[in-house]
Amino acid sequence: MSAPSIPQQPAYTAADRGPLGAGFWWALLILAAGLGLPWSRQGVNVLEYDAARTGLRLVGEAWPIAAALALAGLLLFLGRPPVPHRAAGRAMVLVAAAGGAVTAGHVLAQGQPFGLGALLVFLGFLSVAGMGLSYSGWLRVEPFAGGAILWLAAFIAVFILYPLAVVLTTSVWVRDEFTLDVFRQTLRSPTFFLFENPWTEISERRVALWVGSLAAVLAFPLQSLWGDIPLARQALRSVIIGLGAYCLSALSTGFGALRNSVLLALSVGVLSTALGLAFALLAQRSRFPIRSLMGPFSTLSMITPPFVLGLSMIYMFGRQGLITNQLLGLSTNAFYGPLGVGVAQVLAFTPLAYLVLTGVVRSLDPAMEEAAQTLRASRWRLFHTVTWPLLRPGVANAFLLTVIESLADFGNPLILGGGVPFLPTEVFFAIEGRFNQHEAAVYGVVLLAMTVGVFVLQHYWLRQASYVTVTGKPSGGNPSPLPGFLEYPMTVAFGLWTLLGVMLYASVFFGSFVKLWGFNNTFTLEHYEALRTSGFGVFLNTARLAALAAVPSALVGFLIAYVVGRLRFPGRSLVEFTSMLSFAVPGTVMGIGYVLAFHHGPLRLTGTELIIILAFVFRNMPVGIRSGLAALQQIDRSLEEASTTLRASNVTTLRRILFPLLVPAVISGLMFSFVRAMTAISQVIFLVTPSTNLATVLILSWVGHGSIGRGAALSCVLIAAMAVVVLLLNVVLHRTNRRGQRMATY
Amino acid sequence: MTQPLATGMGAPVRLEHVTKRFGQVVAVNDVSLDIPAQKMVTLLGPSGCGKTTTLRIIAGLETVSEGRVFIGDQDVTHQPASQRPITMVFQSYALFPHLNVFENVAYGLRNLRVAAAEIRRAVAEALEQVGLAGLESRAPSQLSGGQQQRVALARALVMRPQVLLLDEPLSNLDAKLRKQVRQELRSLQQRLGITSIYVTHDQSEALALSDIIVVMKDGVIQQIGGPEELYTRPANAFVARFIGDANLVEAEIRGGTVWVQGYRVPDPPGDRRDGRRLLMVRPEAIAMQPAQANGQAPGAHGLPGRVVHAFYQGMSAEYLVDTDAGQLMVLDVNLAGPVLPPGTPVQLQFSPRGMYVLPGMATGQPAAAS
Repeated sequence: MSAPSIPQQPAYTAADRGPLGAGFWWALLILAAGLGLPWSRQGVNVLEYDAARTGLRLVGEAWPIAAALALAGLLLFLGRPPVPHRAAGRAMVLVAAAGGAVTAGHVLAQGQPFGLGALLVFLGFLSVAGMGLSYSGWLRVEPFAGGAILWLAAFIAVFILYPLAVVLTTSVWVRDEFTLDVFRQTLRSPTFFLFENPWTEISERRVALWVGSLAAVLAFPLQSLWGDIPLARQALRSVIIGLGAYCLSALSTGFGALRNSVLLALSVGVLSTALGLAFALLAQRSRFPIRSLMGPFSTLSMITPPFVLGLSMIYMFGRQGLITNQLLGLSTNAFYGPLGVGVAQVLAFTPLAYLVLTGVVRSLDPAMEEAAQTLRASRWRLFHTVTWPLLRPGVANAFLLTVIESLADFGNPLILGGGVPFLPTEVFFAIEGRFNQHEAAVYGVVLLAMTVGVFVLQHYWLRQASYVTVTGKPSGGNPSPLPGFLEYPMTVAFGLWTLLGVMLYASVFFGSFVKLWGFNNTFTLEHYEALRTSGFGVFLNTARLAALAAVPSALVGFLIAYVVGRLRFPGRSLVEFTSMLSFAVPGTVMGIGYVLAFHHGPLRLTGTELIIILAFVFRNMPVGIRSGLAALQQIDRSLEEASTTLRASNVTTLRRILFPLLVPAVISGLMFSFVRAMTAISQVIFLVTPSTNLATVLILSWVGHGSIGRGAALSCVLIAAMAVVVLLLNVVLHRTNRRGQRMATY
Repeated sequence: MTQPLATGMGAPVRLEHVTKRFGQVVAVNDVSLDIPAQKMVTLLGPSGCGKTTTLRIIAGLETVSEGRVFIGDQDVTHQPASQRPITMVFQSYALFPHLNVFENVAYGLRNLRVAAAEIRRAVAEALEQVGLAGLESRAPSQLSGGQQQRVALARALVMRPQVLLLDEPLSNLDAKLRKQVRQELRSLQQRLGITSIYVTHDQSEALALSDIIVVMKDGVIQQIGGPEELYTRPANAFVARFIGDANLVEAEIRGGTVWVQGYRVPDPPGDRRDGRRLLMVRPEAIAMQPAQANGQAPGAHGLPGRVVHAFYQGMSAEYLVDTDAGQLMVLDVNLAGPVLPPGTPVQLQFSPRGMYVLPGMATGQPAAAS
C-alpha cells in the first residue's frame, strides 16, 4: 500500500449502450411480428405461416390490429435511455396495457386459434408493460425483472389457473346454464359414494352417528390424562375427534370412489410414513448398512413409471402370479382392488417418505438428546418430550405428502383397480368411457379440493411448526442407538420390504423375456423385437419431448425461484403459491383441464407436441422452484448486493453471479424434470394422439390389451435409459459439486 | 448509467429527513445528515441502532420510507443501487467465489464496458494499492482473511467511486491485523480523497479513523462531531458512555460552582447554569489517594470513598470505588504506589481535563460507571 500518491481521476462512467433502449426493440418486434406474421391459424401448428392472415393483409379490415400496431408505433418513442422519467414509465404501462388488451380482445373475439404473430405481439406488449412498471416506480424492481414477473404471471394464469377454472366451470355450467345438477347426480351416484347399503339390515348412517358421538364423549375425559388443557379446547378437540370418527365410520361402511380413495390414501399415508420413519431411523442409528441400500431404492422408485409396480404385482400376485398361483396354488383376484393398489403404492411412496424423514432425523442434534439425558430424563421421557416433538412436523409432512401422492395416483388404480372405482380413474373413465366431461369435471373438482386442502394444510400449518431449520448441522455427539425392541422389528420390516421390491423389479425384468408369464415361461426376445416396430419410435419421441421440456421447466422454475426468493413486489406470495400449487393438483385433473381449456377456440393447442411439452413444463416446474429456492438460500445476499453496487443490472447479476453458483442445482433440476416427464402418465394420457404418443401411455394400453410382455419390455427399456441418464448427470453433478466445495469453504 | 460529477472524486452526501420503517419498526428515524466531500465519516452505535440501514439507504440497497438522499448535487432517492456513484465493502466481503481475484476486481469495470486494456491497467493498479499484486489468479478461498478484505477494498476502489461505503469491514479480522488495516485504509482514503462512510460499533476504531463521527441510537442521531469533541464534550449520557468509559454523577450547581455530595469540583467545562445536572467524569481524570487518618472535613480534599474492586492491568490499575455519589470507576495510570486492596478508604479528586457538565437537567438514576 505504498504506491505513490495518485492524482485525482474522474470516475468511470458506463459506456454508451445505444440510444434506443430495450423498449424500442420490443416495440419494433411487435410491429414486425404484427405485420409480417399471421394473427390466426387454421390447423394445430402454431408455427404455421399463412400470408392471408398476416397484419399486412388484415390491417385495413380489422381495427384492433390497426390499433395495436399504432400503439406499438407510439411505444417506439417512449422509454429512451438514460433512465426514462417516471411519467414516461406510466405512459408506457398504459399504452402497452391497452395494446395487450386490444390484442387479446381481438384474438378472443375472433374465436380462431391464435397465430404466431398475435402471440409475439401480446408478449411484446407484456414485456414493455413490465419495463414501464419498473420505470414508473410502481414496481420497485428493474425493467428486466418487471417484464419477467409479468411473463411468469401470464403463463401461470394461462397454464395453471385457467385450466383449473375451466374444470370448475365445466362442473357447474352445462349447456350455457348454471346448474348444480351434475354435481348432485354425481355425488349421489353409488360410484362416487354410497352411504346406506341397501343389502344390510342396519342403517350405516346411524352406526356412524353412534360411533362419532361415542368417540367424542370418550375423548372428552380421556384428554385430561395428558395434562392440563383448557376446557374449551378440550371440548373443541372432542368435537373434532367425534367428527373424524363419524367420517371414518361412514367411509369404512360405505362404498364408492370417494371411500376407496380416501381410505386408501390414509392407510398408504400411515404405512409409508411409518416405514419411511423406521428406515430413516435405521439408516441413522443402526449398525446395518441401510443407507447404502436405501439410496438405490429411492433412485429406482424415482425413475420407475408409477404403474410399473402395479404391473409387477400382476406378475407376482395376479391370477397367474408366481406367488399366488405357482407357489400357493391359488387362483385369486384378491390383489386386484384396494389391497393390490395399496401394496403397490406403499412400495412406490415409502422412498419419498424416507427422503423427507431422513433429513429430519439427521438434523436431530444428538447433543440435544444428551442434554436431556444429563437433565435426568428417562428414555421414554426423552422420546416423549424431546425426540418426538422435533420429529412431529417432519412426520406430518411426510404423511401429507404421501396422502397427496396416493390420492392423485392414477396408474396403479388403473392397472390393479380391477373395476373398483377410485377418484382419479373415475375422472378418466367419465371422459374417455362415458364421454361426460361434466361428470369428469365434478370428480376432478372433488379430487382437487381434497389434494389442495391437504397441500394448504402442509404449506401453512407445518411451515410454522418446523424446527428442522433452526439447528442446522448436527454439532457432533453420538446419536443414541435404537432400543432393541424397536430395532429388530424395523430391520425385519426393511428386509421384507427390500425382498418384495427386488422381487417385483426382477419380475418385470424376467417377465419381459418370457413368452407369457405364468402360462408359457420359455425364454424369448420377441417382446423386445416387437418394440422395434412400434415401441422404440415412441420411446425416442418421449425422450425427445421430455428433453425439450426439461430445459424450460428448469429455467422457468429457477426464474420463479429468483423472482419469489429475491425480489419484493405485490403479489409475490400469490405467484409462489400458485406455482407450487401445481404440485398438489392431481395430474388427471390438470389433464382434463388442459383438454377442456385448449381443445377449441382461440387458445387451441391440443393435438400438438407443444401442448405435451407445456404440460410437462408446468407440471415439473415446481421441482425447479424447490431446488432453486433451496440453493438460493445457501447464497449470501451480500454477493448480489455487491454485484449491484458494482453497477451490474439484475440481468447481469443473474447471469454472472447467481447462475454460475446455481449450476449444480440447475443440473439436478434438469435431471428431475426430465425423469418426471419420462415417467408422467396421469396428465398426458388425456393429451396424446396417435401421432404424439408417449411411452408410458403406450405401456399402459398394451397392458390393458393383454400384451403384458411387451409392456414389461418397454418398461425395462425406459428404466434402463433413465438409470443411465441419472448416473451420468450424477457424475457431472459430483464434479461440479467438488469444484463448488472448494468455493464454498472460503 | 452514471452521470459524471464535475467535482472530481469525493462527492458530498446529504440525507434530508430520512425515515425507514420495516413494518412497525422504525429503523431510521428522521435522520438528516450532511457529509462533506472527501472526508471519512463514521456511523457509530450499538447493534440495531440503524447505522447499517442508513448506509444501505445511501447505497440504494434499501428504499426510504420518507426523505431524500443526495450524492453531490444529484437527488438519488429513487435511483437503484446500480446507478449510484458509490461502491461498498461488505462485512462478509462478498467476494464472488467462482471468480478469481482479477475477475473479482474487474467485475464492476466489465459492467461498465470499459476496454480490456484499461481494465488490466486499472485492476493492476488497484491491487498494487492494496498490496496484493501478483495474486491475480488466486481464488478467494485460497486467500487469508486479511487478503480477502483487501480484494474487497480493491474491487470497490477500482471503480473510482465518489463515495465509498464500508460496512464493518474489519470486524472479521483479528485484533492485530485490524489495527494495521485500519491505518492503511485511512491513509489510502486520504490520498485518494474519496468520501468514505464507515459503519462500526467499535468506538476505538471510530476515534482512530474518522474526521467526523455520527453517533446513533434507536435510529436517531445522538451527536455529530470530531473524535475529540465527542470524547470531551458528549451531547448526552448515551454518547458519554458509548465513547470511552464514563462516570456520570449527579452534581448540584449553585452560582457557578459545582458540588458533588459536598465535594467542590474544580471548574468543569460545560453549561454552568444553576440546577441539578449530570457531570461526566472520565475514569482517568480521577485522582485517588488513601484517606488521611486525621479528621479533616469531608469534601475539602475530595470525595471520600472505599475501594470495592481492584483490577491490576500491568501499566495501569482500575478500581471500582463506592462513594456517596454512587460507584465510580477510577483508572490509575501513574501507578505510583502499590495497588490498593479492596476495603481501603480513599479520597477522590476530579481533574477538569476529563470532566464535562452534560447539557440539560439530570433526570434521575445518576452515577453508574459504564
